[in-house]
Amino acid sequence: MRLDRTDPLAAMLLRSPLGALVDWAARLRASVQRKLLVAFLLIALLFIGMGASTLLTMRTMSRQSELLDRAHLRLEWSQEIHHSLAMQMHLTAMALLVRDEAAIGSILRENNRFNESLARLEEAVEEPERVVIQKVRAAQEEAMAVVADIANLVRDSKIDAATRLHSSREDPLYRSIDALVSQMVQQENARMVGLRNGLRAARERSLAVLGAFAAVSVLLALAGGFVISWMLIRPLSAAHGLLNELSSGRFGGTVKVPNNDELGELAVQLSATSRELARLDAEQRRAAQELAALNAKLQQASVAKSEFLANMSHELRTPLNAILGFTEMLSDELYGPMPAEFREPLADIQTNGRHLLRLINDVLDLSKIEAGRMELSLGEYSAEEIVNTVRASLRSLAEEKALEFRVELDPGLPEIMLGDAKRITQCLLNLTGNALKFTKRGRVTIRAARQSDFVHYSVADTGIGIPPEQLDAVFTEFRQLDSTITREFGGTGLGLSITKKFVEMHGGRIWVESRVNEGSTFHFTIPLKSEMASTV
Amino acid sequence: MSDKTILYVEDNEFNRKIVRQLLSQTRYRLREAPDGESGVRAAQEELPDLILMDVQLPKMSGLDATRQLRADPRTARVPIIIVTSYALSGDEQKARDAGATAYIAKPYSPRDLLSKIREIVPEA
Repeated sequence: MRLDRTDPLAAMLLRSPLGALVDWAARLRASVQRKLLVAFLLIALLFIGMGASTLLTMRTMSRQSELLDRAHLRLEWSQEIHHSLAMQMHLTAMALLVRDEAAIGSILRENNRFNESLARLEEAVEEPERVVIQKVRAAQEEAMAVVADIANLVRDSKIDAATRLHSSREDPLYRSIDALVSQMVQQENARMVGLRNGLRAARERSLAVLGAFAAVSVLLALAGGFVISWMLIRPLSAAHGLLNELSSGRFGGTVKVPNNDELGELAVQLSATSRELARLDAEQRRAAQELAALNAKLQQASVAKSEFLANMSHELRTPLNAILGFTEMLSDELYGPMPAEFREPLADIQTNGRHLLRLINDVLDLSKIEAGRMELSLGEYSAEEIVNTVRASLRSLAEEKALEFRVELDPGLPEIMLGDAKRITQCLLNLTGNALKFTKRGRVTIRAARQSDFVHYSVADTGIGIPPEQLDAVFTEFRQLDSTITREFGGTGLGLSITKKFVEMHGGRIWVESRVNEGSTFHFTIPLKSEMASTV
Repeated sequence: MSDKTILYVEDNEFNRKIVRQLLSQTRYRLREAPDGESGVRAAQEELPDLILMDVQLPKMSGLDATRQLRADPRTARVPIIIVTSYALSGDEQKARDAGATAYIAKPYSPRDLLSKIREIVPEA
């Protein structure tokens, strides 16, 4: 479920007073657990209330129907009384007519029934009706006394007297009882109708009340559920939104929720985290900017340094050109014959001038490489030519030192290769020059062989060798094993480092194997087809 | 046949002196110009048999001067030896592109320079 999307109904409800209620619930200073507990208790109470009111209604209804039942009974009893009164009247008339005592007995039995019903009725009715019943009983007792007199007269066969007594006493008595009983029956009937109507009204009323109660309860429960869920969903959704921002790298946003509970605390902490992240981010950016600026400055300084060196060495070369030029013309006797004792110092000037020139050239090469301005000029060349050039230019030095100087060329070498011949020559010249310099006796061998897509050049000597712990340092600028070596053997200390850089610019590799007092072998490889490697 | 004229365009007095003294032993006649502009002017005023042109020159670089001379029909065919500097890689190519007949890297040996001159413009 996407937390950051609110469905339209919920959005509409949140804008209603229900939304205010959500705010209110959120603002309550209590834990989420307590809020949930209270909400569920409220909902449970609503349903308990609904159940209780249903029970109450049912009880009222059953009491009402009980009353109705009793009213029914009373009506029945009143009707029985009415009936037995009529029977009594009828039996009395019969007794007079047939002049039979047995009929009198029936009257008495009927009277018993009458009295039983009356007693039951009396028990079931309220006070005002009891008065009527007592009146009926009194009249009935009087009527029974009259019936007894009539019975005696009938037994004595004084029928006329009995008939008179019947018409004068008993009949009016019965009539008054009949009137009372009819009144009772009517009353009971009326009461029963009233009860029945009341019961019907009560049933309708309680149905309406129950329905309303149920509807209100369900609505309240739904509203409660809505309030409590949105009280939880809103801060979670806000937190989710902020976390999304944070995870996409936008720091510094905050969440504001009205909650005064754990979720409120969560929002506060999340906002603080976001602000802290923004602060760190800004700090880091500032630091990165400062570093970049510093880096640019350093780079500028480095380029400026290299340019200075380049210009400087050019400026140095101009007077050196003159020095070497004049010296050469002197020794060529352009200015006239040279006294013999001048020859040696003049040769020393030339040697030192050339050494100075080499130093200047090396410094210039290195500074150009470091400024990223050294480019290879690639062209077709042959390894054989390079090796022969190197051999030719160093042969005299080897002869001077009486060293064996050998060249071994792999016949499998391609005739034409692609690379910067001038720089590769410079590399091999450097290594071979070094080998001759550091070797007092024995031999120096240059080898060139094909090794898959590379030419493998190596220069082996039988010189002083390099201690193992210094092997790694030999390709570093201005590193010679010790300063006495510089004095004894000459060299700029830059040759190996420049060689390494040219080899790497070609895409090759350089390494050295050496044993002290046995000799060293320098190796480097150059691809058969060099491409312009990025500046080293 | 009159002596061959060589125009040397170079700002450094000592370098000019070397060439001056080098050529003083020969039959070549030397003319000198201290910067690119005056070098071009001198070549146009009096057509030399050979021009020695330094690269780094005041006012106008040796390469620009060479291009101007090549563009001018009067000087277009004069041989030009450019004295390239070791300092700038690709100078040889630039020298050729500008129209140089040959180039010689500085610092040069006077002996080598003289033999190069003789190769292009024989002394007599």
